[in-house]
Amino acid sequence: MPHDLAANRLLSRRDVLSRGGLGLGWLGAASLLDAERADAAGSGLSLAPRLPHFPARARAVIHIFANGGPSHIDTFDPKPALAAYTGREIPTNLPTERRTGAALPSPFQFSRHGESGLEVSELFPSVARHADRLLVVRSMHADVPNHEPSLMLMNCGDARLVRPSAGAWVTYALGTENQNLPGFVAMCPGGFPIKESENWRSAFLPGAFQGTYIDTKKRDAADLVENVRHPALDRDAQRRQFDLISQLDRRHLAARPHDPALEARLASMELAWRMQSEATDAFDVSREPAHVLARYGDDVQGRQMLIARRLVERGVRYVQVWHGAGQPWDSHEKIETNHRRLAGECDRAIGALLDDLVAHGMLDSTLVLWGGEFGRTPTVELPAPGTGVSEPSGRDHNHHGFTVWMAGGGVRGGTVHGATDEFGFKAVEKPVHVHDLQATMLHLLGLDHTRLTYRHSGRDFRLTDVHGRVVPELLG
Amino acid sequence: MLQPGLPTRIWTRGRRALGFALGVGFAVVACCGTSRPAGAETAPTVVDLQQQFFESRVRPLLSTKCQECHGDGIAEAGLRLDSRQALIRGADSGPVVVPGKAAESRLLAVVRHADDIAMPPEGKLSDDEISVLETWISAGAPWSGPGGDDDTSTPAAGPVDMQRRLEDSLQSHWAFQPLLRHAPPAPAPQASPEWAHSRIDRFVLAAATAAGVSPSPAASPRDLVRRVWFDLTGMPPPAAEVDAFAAQPTEESYQALVDRLLASRHHAEHWARKWLDVARYADTMGYAFDSQDKRYPFAWTYRDWVVSALAADRPYDQFITLQIAADLVVPPVPPSDLAALGFLTVGRTFLGNTNDIIDDRIDLVTRGLMGLTVACARCHDHKYEPVTTADYYALHGIFASCQIPEELPEIGPPPPGPEAAAFAATYAELRQAVTDHEAAVRARAVREAVTHAAAYFFEVARPAVRGADKRPPRLADGYELQQLIIDRLTRLVGGQTEQHPILGPWVAAASGSDAEVPSRLARLLDAEAAGQPASNLNTVIRDELVSARPNSLADLAEAYARVVMRIAPDWAGGTAVAGDETDDVRAARELFGVDGTPFVVLTSEAMRVANMAEQTEFRRRQLNITKHQAEAAGGPPRAMVLVDRPEPQDSPILLRGSPARRGDVVKRRVPMLLGGAGVGAGSSGRLDLARALVAPGNPLTARMIVNWAWTHHLGGGLVPAAGDLGLRGEAPAHRELLDDLTRRFIEEGGWSLRWLHREIVTSRTFRQSSAAREDLADRDPDNRLFARANRRRLDWEAWRDSMLVAANTLDRVHCGGPGVDPLAVESMSVRSIYGRLDRQDVPGLLRTFDVANPDTVVHVRVRTTVPQQSLAVLNSELVVNAARRLAARVQAEVADPARDDLRVDSLWRAALSRSPSAEERDAALAWLAAEPSSDTSAFGRYERLAQAVLAVAEFQFID
Repeated sequence: MPHDLAANRLLSRRDVLSRGGLGLGWLGAASLLDAERADAAGSGLSLAPRLPHFPARARAVIHIFANGGPSHIDTFDPKPALAAYTGREIPTNLPTERRTGAALPSPFQFSRHGESGLEVSELFPSVARHADRLLVVRSMHADVPNHEPSLMLMNCGDARLVRPSAGAWVTYALGTENQNLPGFVAMCPGGFPIKESENWRSAFLPGAFQGTYIDTKKRDAADLVENVRHPALDRDAQRRQFDLISQLDRRHLAARPHDPALEARLASMELAWRMQSEATDAFDVSREPAHVLARYGDDVQGRQMLIARRLVERGVRYVQVWHGAGQPWDSHEKIETNHRRLAGECDRAIGALLDDLVAHGMLDSTLVLWGGEFGRTPTVELPAPGTGVSEPSGRDHNHHGFTVWMAGGGVRGGTVHGATDEFGFKAVEKPVHVHDLQATMLHLLGLDHTRLTYRHSGRDFRLTDVHGRVVPELLG
Repeated sequence: MLQPGLPTRIWTRGRRALGFALGVGFAVVACCGTSRPAGAETAPTVVDLQQQFFESRVRPLLSTKCQECHGDGIAEAGLRLDSRQALIRGADSGPVVVPGKAAESRLLAVVRHADDIAMPPEGKLSDDEISVLETWISAGAPWSGPGGDDDTSTPAAGPVDMQRRLEDSLQSHWAFQPLLRHAPPAPAPQASPEWAHSRIDRFVLAAATAAGVSPSPAASPRDLVRRVWFDLTGMPPPAAEVDAFAAQPTEESYQALVDRLLASRHHAEHWARKWLDVARYADTMGYAFDSQDKRYPFAWTYRDWVVSALAADRPYDQFITLQIAADLVVPPVPPSDLAALGFLTVGRTFLGNTNDIIDDRIDLVTRGLMGLTVACARCHDHKYEPVTTADYYALHGIFASCQIPEELPEIGPPPPGPEAAAFAATYAELRQAVTDHEAAVRARAVREAVTHAAAYFFEVARPAVRGADKRPPRLADGYELQQLIIDRLTRLVGGQTEQHPILGPWVAAASGSDAEVPSRLARLLDAEAAGQPASNLNTVIRDELVSARPNSLADLAEAYARVVMRIAPDWAGGTAVAGDETDDVRAARELFGVDGTPFVVLTSEAMRVANMAEQTEFRRRQLNITKHQAEAAGGPPRAMVLVDRPEPQDSPILLRGSPARRGDVVKRRVPMLLGGAGVGAGSSGRLDLARALVAPGNPLTARMIVNWAWTHHLGGGLVPAAGDLGLRGEAPAHRELLDDLTRRFIEEGGWSLRWLHREIVTSRTFRQSSAAREDLADRDPDNRLFARANRRRLDWEAWRDSMLVAANTLDRVHCGGPGVDPLAVESMSVRSIYGRLDRQDVPGLLRTFDVANPDTVVHVRVRTTVPQQSLAVLNSELVVNAARRLAARVQAEVADPARDDLRVDSLWRAALSRSPSAEERDAALAWLAAEPSSDTSAFGRYERLAQAVLAVAEFQFID
């Protein structure tokens, strides 16, 4: 085999199976590892679907990334104790990025929802409708109060070093179920988030597992996917051209039998041909009925949540939906107006997405994760020169404790896991580190985070490196 | 070696706690059924029972759950749990076990998940297992057999083990053994005589024969000439050349062809691109501050240097020496060779994080050039290789002693043309803006330092307790002390005695309590007054002390601060008056008031004492320079050099890789594996490092490059993982061949890569057919025996370049310069190696075709087969534009529109280097005839046909 990663080769047998149009089930009981051992002639890495280590609860992930750091105290982790300290300092003020002062009680009302009585603030009324399906992890913690390392930790499992993203790992492990679409899609309207494409990079994993970036600000489906439409030919003319290519290729192949790489190339041409229509279709939300569009909202968040659903419906493995370019949720100032606006932009669309996943019977097998790279302080950020903060009305970054929620994909719904201290500063009960979240997500996908490895630079790497533990209480 | 469980062993420790814990221990032992023969001669002693308990319950637990990461060779967190002494010693962070005191033993908190750290990482121990550990620790952690206190066979400390591993691996690991010539086996009598000429072939043939397989027949002359063209130049041959060779496929004409291709610039370009993968080349620094321009305006000078060095066939030892230390070699090289240093500097800049930048360079030099992973030792001794953290930080010191100068050296004249003068004028202006800013920052910083001098003196004597971020203290007025100044003042004061004319009183009084200050000062001042011993106390400080009569350290610091204020430069707030200049004042000024003294930092250090806003402004002004250099025409080329700092420094080991936790300082040296020689004083040691890489005693560097070249030529390595010659890498199937070839590469070839290429591509092994063989499919599916050639897909660069050749757009004399957009139509005259690459945003099309990740050393690219590649073939602008030009070319070559047959011939020859077969010609003509001929669109019949030919598998694959 002509590359230096022979140990990581995935197999031609699977290629053959997928080429034959046979789905995942045909592989029977063979596990990922068995399949790898069975590899012989190997035609290189592919995106063909592969079985997990053990039966999976989830087959797809939608990660809604509230980038910038949403405030847990104003959304899913009510802290009434703060009210008593209004204008005063609370007993604990842990170091964060900038200086903070007195307690800042949440300006938003919380209420209980569903049979579980889960508390959600007024910012997320549509999400709250699904309270009984949410698993709210209130005891998340990360390592540092800065965006860049925290984004890297959340996405790639390491704050500093160049490591593959979770989506790349999952796609590497499981392939993807629809060969006509990318296996890992990262959507962000209007540009890149902080750290740019590093958030969905493949690093030392093959480039095919890198997230495909889609700028959802663009409306025309054909503009969203690279090379999906011929710039000059109509469909009929291209069909005639394609037939000629196939004819020449078949002749070429006939003279060179038993070459898996050539066979794979020919199969991939067929796939690409089908992808032209299917990919366009997947990204074209205008094909949805008007009432569906209306439920999501005819705006950028509505469009991208709808695309997320359409992608997962079609077998895409991993979808990331970023709120916007830069770090929109980073409300150092005026948190009341900023958080209200941000939640207002996406709440309806997230609610509609959950509605549809339920209605289409997809939520059980789709893990939805919502959260940021960290949360925010219960104390008010103090104005300081050079920070752009001119009035004490926002919150600083907080990695000591924050909230993410998950739904579907085999998690225990209607549940709150863990807790921060009485002010919401630090995760104190059943703390869940980002590594633990990742280990648990992989577990739901049927992957043992300690066995999902890739040999690079002389050693086996994992998403969780030497860390992480599956949190059994999160599993349904 | 003592056997575990010998009943005669006597416990020497842990007896005292025994009585308390024994009950539980007994119970557990009894439960788990450890047997003793009934009616044993003596009743089991306490010691015996403890020993059984340890061997049956504790040792298995430690061994299966702990020692993989806390054991021999690897000691995560500095902790080893494979001997009692190591256990007692604990981790970097402190003790983890207090024998006899379970409650105080952090180990138990950790396994109970009651600590910040939760172990083991794979999952919590069972309650039973935890209680075993608790029982054991409560009993004093008795340890029998290997690893016990009496056991001298298990070295207790990490470094000793690493030493043993080094010695063992130097003895046993194949890649560390000296390079030997080997006599190639004589070919079997029945073998083809052609296989007897080359030593490579004789090794390959012998191994194949031994495995019971025969080599494949030679590839057809047409396949061979196309293969060797792509292999050596990354471009397809002209059809006429294939015809000519096929007509006369003699040995002489093949040899001549190889020589001609090896001498071509296209060969240098093609192999330079492969080298740039190793060098993790890109034209940007990666993720950058908003106030930075992430472009490297001169990365291309490194890329062009590589091309020209390969074109000149500079010997490989020299080639890499220049890339590590071109600025240090003797005799000095011409300025143009300084561009070689881009090897070290074109990597990511990690937002200026020095340790990450150095780590990248260490990985580049070790894994990149020797196939040895050293970077793992950043946080702990290497798990597998004989590489310690001391080795790592010895290299760290070498790179920490280097810096990128603020202004890169010019290595040539500006391009001819009228823009040069305007460029230079603007450049000078922008440089001045940077210098002005630095001067202003320096003045501000020195002024504030002088104002706060008392706080600095106080801090040096009584350092404030620091927070987790280790930042220096911030004063009530918001001023944060500068570490640079604290360090300088500490060094200045630290070396003095009470006899120092100015610092003497400080030395005498500052070490005591506040109450002692007056008496200690009085002792000096009284001695002074009494004139004995002959005092040399400086009057400037004496007057201060006499008038102020300090009663505390704070008072004393204030007194010194007033001296500093008095003699500080006037631009920094100094209060000197005219006529003040006595000898004593001058002496005080020399101590505190001139450039380079603790408070008066140099302009070149301005950014080390700048606040955030000033640093941002500095980057903004630098951004203007970068932007000017990247965008304006008329600037001179510059080399991305690394130079030695004026004062080279050794680095401390950073425990667990954390800058906040400094361990012992290690002297700069090469890794012990390479002999461990220290570097010359007064230089960073880069040259010593380069010499160690190519020293005769270091077989790794040469093995690495020979295997690398082989892998690229044959589509598979002698060592399967081209970048891993370490203990965990796979040994070569053809070790004697690799050694022999490597040794001859040095001795016969004189490190000439061209010699190496020729040796490989003229072998019969290289020239075999790539046809699949049923017998080999079973016996050697991975083709480790090289009994056939590997069919290969073109990489991104060769694929794109082939389209440019077919489209006839390539400007064959283009010779480098700033990179171009690889996907733009205007770039169709330029080979792919000259494409600009933003490591932060590698275009999807390039990623789809598996270009190397520019963030890490890549010896051989991974190859994927994904439908996005075919999508690009069908629809990308790149292919469509090439098809347009190919169609135009064909129509120009055969002007007669009635001669579709000739045009089809011409098309095939342009794209596939051959004429179409009769069947193919017929198919193409039939297709053309059926296409709507009235079509007047810009993408007409011939454009479509041309694209179809560019899209066939044959275009992208080499037989």
